[in-house]
Amino acid sequence: MKKKSFSMLLTVLLAFSLVLSACGGGEKSKGASSDPTPAPSNSKEEVSAAPEEPTEITIMLPLNTSETPPDTIKKEIEKLTNTKLTYQFFPADTYEEKLNTSFATGSLPQVTYLKNSTTFVQMKEAIKDGQFWEIGPLLSEFPNLNKLKPEILNNTKVDGKLYSLYIGRPLARQGMIYRKDWADKLGLSAPANVDELFEMAKAFTEQDPDGNGQKDTIGIVDRNELVYGAFKTVSSWFGTPNYWGTKDGQLEPEFTFEGYYDTMDFFKKVRESGYMNQDFAATSKTDAVKMFTSGKAGMYIGGSMQDIDSLHKDLIKNVPDAVLDTHSMVAGPDGSFAQWMIPGYNNIVLFPKSAVKDEAELRKILAFFDKMMTPEVSNVMYWGIEGVHYTVVDGKAKPSSEKELIEREVKGYKDSVIGEAETNGMYESYNELPGRIHAEELLLENVKVGVADPTAALDSVTYMEKGVELQQIITDATYQYMYGQIDRAGFEKAVSDWKSRGGDKIIEEFNAAAK
Amino acid sequence: MVEDRSISGRIYAAINFTLLALIALITVLPFVHVVAGSFTTSAELAAHKFVLIPRIWSWDAYKFIFSTNTIFRAMGVSIGVTLFGTLFSMFITSLMAYGLSRRDLDGRNVINFMVVFTMLFTGGMIPTFLVVKELGLINTYASLILPSAISAFNMIILRNFFQNIPEGLEESAKIDGCSDFGILFKIVLPLSMPAIATISLFYAVTYWNTYMSAILYLDDSAKWPIQVLLRQIVVLASGMDHSSTLDGTVPPPDQTIKMAVIVVATLPILMVYPFLQKHFAKGAMLGSMKG
Amino acid sequence: MQEVTVQPGAAPPLRLGKEKRSSELKKRLWRNKWLYVMLLPGVLYFIIFKYLPMYGLIISFQNYKPYQGIFGSEWVGFEHFRRLFTEPEFFNILWNTIVLFALNIFIYFPIPIILALMLNELRGNFFKRIFQTLVYLPHFMSWVIIVSISYVMVTMDGGIINELLSYFGFEKINFLLSNGWLRPMYIIQVIWREAGWGTIIYLAAIAAVDPGLYEAARIDGAGRMRQVWHITLPTIRGVIITLFILKIGHVLDLGFEHVYLLLNSMNRQVGEIIDTYVYTAGLRQGQFSYSTAIGFFKSIIGLIMVMLVNRISKKMGEEGVY
Repeated sequence: MKKKSFSMLLTVLLAFSLVLSACGGGEKSKGASSDPTPAPSNSKEEVSAAPEEPTEITIMLPLNTSETPPDTIKKEIEKLTNTKLTYQFFPADTYEEKLNTSFATGSLPQVTYLKNSTTFVQMKEAIKDGQFWEIGPLLSEFPNLNKLKPEILNNTKVDGKLYSLYIGRPLARQGMIYRKDWADKLGLSAPANVDELFEMAKAFTEQDPDGNGQKDTIGIVDRNELVYGAFKTVSSWFGTPNYWGTKDGQLEPEFTFEGYYDTMDFFKKVRESGYMNQDFAATSKTDAVKMFTSGKAGMYIGGSMQDIDSLHKDLIKNVPDAVLDTHSMVAGPDGSFAQWMIPGYNNIVLFPKSAVKDEAELRKILAFFDKMMTPEVSNVMYWGIEGVHYTVVDGKAKPSSEKELIEREVKGYKDSVIGEAETNGMYESYNELPGRIHAEELLLENVKVGVADPTAALDSVTYMEKGVELQQIITDATYQYMYGQIDRAGFEKAVSDWKSRGGDKIIEEFNAAAK
Repeated sequence: MVEDRSISGRIYAAINFTLLALIALITVLPFVHVVAGSFTTSAELAAHKFVLIPRIWSWDAYKFIFSTNTIFRAMGVSIGVTLFGTLFSMFITSLMAYGLSRRDLDGRNVINFMVVFTMLFTGGMIPTFLVVKELGLINTYASLILPSAISAFNMIILRNFFQNIPEGLEESAKIDGCSDFGILFKIVLPLSMPAIATISLFYAVTYWNTYMSAILYLDDSAKWPIQVLLRQIVVLASGMDHSSTLDGTVPPPDQTIKMAVIVVATLPILMVYPFLQKHFAKGAMLGSMKG
Repeated sequence: MQEVTVQPGAAPPLRLGKEKRSSELKKRLWRNKWLYVMLLPGVLYFIIFKYLPMYGLIISFQNYKPYQGIFGSEWVGFEHFRRLFTEPEFFNILWNTIVLFALNIFIYFPIPIILALMLNELRGNFFKRIFQTLVYLPHFMSWVIIVSISYVMVTMDGGIINELLSYFGFEKINFLLSNGWLRPMYIIQVIWREAGWGTIIYLAAIAAVDPGLYEAARIDGAGRMRQVWHITLPTIRGVIITLFILKIGHVLDLGFEHVYLLLNSMNRQVGEIIDTYVYTAGLRQGQFSYSTAIGFFKSIIGLIMVMLVNRISKKMGEEGVY
């Protein structure tokens, strides 16, 4: 019994000391005492004394792969850029929680990647408040960073000032991936306009394209996403503006335009005729992809056309002689082409003032990113090590056949490369699949008829606060219309609901900002 | 239980058995699907919707997840945290529960109420993070244990079990010269083995499922427990992340890998229960002692 | 201790003089000193990790900005609560939440009790253990997995159940996209995942039943059902009531993940609950104050319910949770 009381007392003492330390700590929020990889506060002296000393940089970024990559690539980058890097990966799924907590407690590291453009919108207020370093004026000192595309940088500016570097993405990669073998068998060519698109969906459903004698195929497979599913892509084919359009010189949301109704009518008809998956409003991306790769569906619309590689890989496991192709030039009812475009970036990176002490330190970090924008470094980050993860064929990178090795060691870094191939000089990918080669051509075609979001660089306070919540009203009404539960009047009621609950203010604010 | 050999008794037992067997079957089928899915190829999974016995056997998923030491390391962390966490939590929870189970303790109801209050009101992630940070626990395994050391729910349940022990037993022990600690460790705990086993299981499962604390308090991914790995793969493979963009660069992991990780991450905690089960019979002691 | 008031150091009401009473109290406190020592680690834990961070609730009354901190953010009083209560959908959302909670209480809650009693009636330890282990398996599957398995079973696009229905000549049922099926699907999934796990606590309580009582009842000629009703159930009544009270505190707190995964545009009318609303309106937009205010509202309602039910249970001669 004595022994037990003793360990008890120990526990109590321990707990007591915890309390004391808790009270002693008080309200210091920026204490780096517990940080195992403290920011190099002594970097300034080091600069003058020993310029060869590698810069220590801590980087926080979302993890999009199943596990954090090993040090292989990191060591290579460190060697090439003379840095000592600490990568802190956090699961993309809960990245926002981590980001918010770290930000509110002053513990963001020197280099902070956001998750996507939505988190960027959330951060704008803090950026305006001066929590992050403005880098615009410094950019010209770095020859490689200076190459970043001005129009995309412009999209990432806050109140006209630049605070971030961007991770580039092609402007318009979306289109359709379809079963070329089915189309050939039925004597169809790629749909030239939206009517032919409907006809193809019909033929793929009714004419037994897989030749098994059963009516067990569908034309289009879609999922529970209006933007990254089929809807938005088809809506731009129908001539709907990209999120916002101009009507009588005034910015108006896309769902007040006729093209939006045409798109809803299109999907309503396709669904009612049974030419697409009936449960698309509840189908996840994985289930949609599964339906396509199991050979049950003929068209996968709205995703990146570059996805054809992975879809093809899985499809031929089930249907060995399947042939896929990509397509995006579908004309609207008036015969003209249009493709919606993203603002050209996927994510951005910020430099918190709480971690980067002065401009000298900021310059050293920017110097690292400047080096990242050279072909040597960006190739390592995007493709891996030549000879191990990829080989160069015709001046393009061909990934090694060891997919698992790439997935494990390289993929984690891919989404953090600043800029795009045109600006950082990294290799384009070497493609063998005809559909993928076609996709790369279409990417360029898409941009020629691309429609930009006119509000991409504009701010609206109400949108920041309530945009997501309000969009829900429209999203619900759109699905209900396509499922035939509400008619045009019902949809218009939802739109007026949207307006009265804050939409009017959003319209007003965007229009004011546009002037 | 005493055997009942009458006809009605047998019918009763037969119906009961059949019903339970049916329930067990329903609950276990999806699990069989997951296990079967982990031992086959992704093509087989795509071709047949609900695989129960794979036609094509494959170890590839397991080969993939065991090809690096990540999963072993994460498993080690989880086992360690679960083991130490459960012991520590049981220790301080039993102390508190016993103290509060004594009806002659002044102020027990204030404390009881304050405990219940914390089940309803929480300060939120950010203030809790600051406390953990001020205590210097960031990046330590202790940050996975201390902030959740006592579950109010578990403490209240345990206290209830302790309250059911006849006070007479404690009184007589006291007369025999036992201290309060003596009563707890020599009489109350041994008599409450079913409750101790149950609450230990609850704690063990909570620690095993640690996810958010790891993400918030551990910057070093080498220290992450198995759940982080599990959830990451499940979310990626299920395409449930609604904010997913047009990203073609990272196709999701194979379904088979997802299922293999579920199996590997669940098996150790599943094995805890059978070990605890035998303690459920021991409670019978209480009755015999009372008589 | 029938009627309990929440007062620090409340002593049992003794009919004695004041001094006498306080010296009695001192004596009792001294006698129980080791009990207080036992409480200390636990109390400290609750103070440090639960009560210290509670200042975070202040932000419900502010326009909290992470970079301004709790002490620098602007005060807005009850503005966020006003926003919540004037939300056009508020009463619908509240109603949906209460309906799902009621399903939890009236349908789910008794099932683990019944299941535990059935398991207890099983002859032979072998089967008992096997069944116990099997029914507790689903608890370890995350909602993501359960919802995606359900999708495969019930989808109109080749789901097993709908294939069977149409094979036998019935109309296909749109389980996933209808207002009518959301609640049944929800509660079935809850039962499937949690019922077996929920039995454990009752099995532990049943283990405390004195076998001698069954013996005596059998000699009196009581059948198995009567034994269950008169002996087993009364023994576990205390646990049932405790669990009930603790559960009632979560009346508006159903958790976000499960319902969110089931939600879509076609069933939001009945499926949007407070927790999913907080997610879209609050967390995804970084509205910390608004989400905290909604959480505050949930907690207040929970507290009222707990206090109410606790009081009723004490009136009925039960112990209550505090």
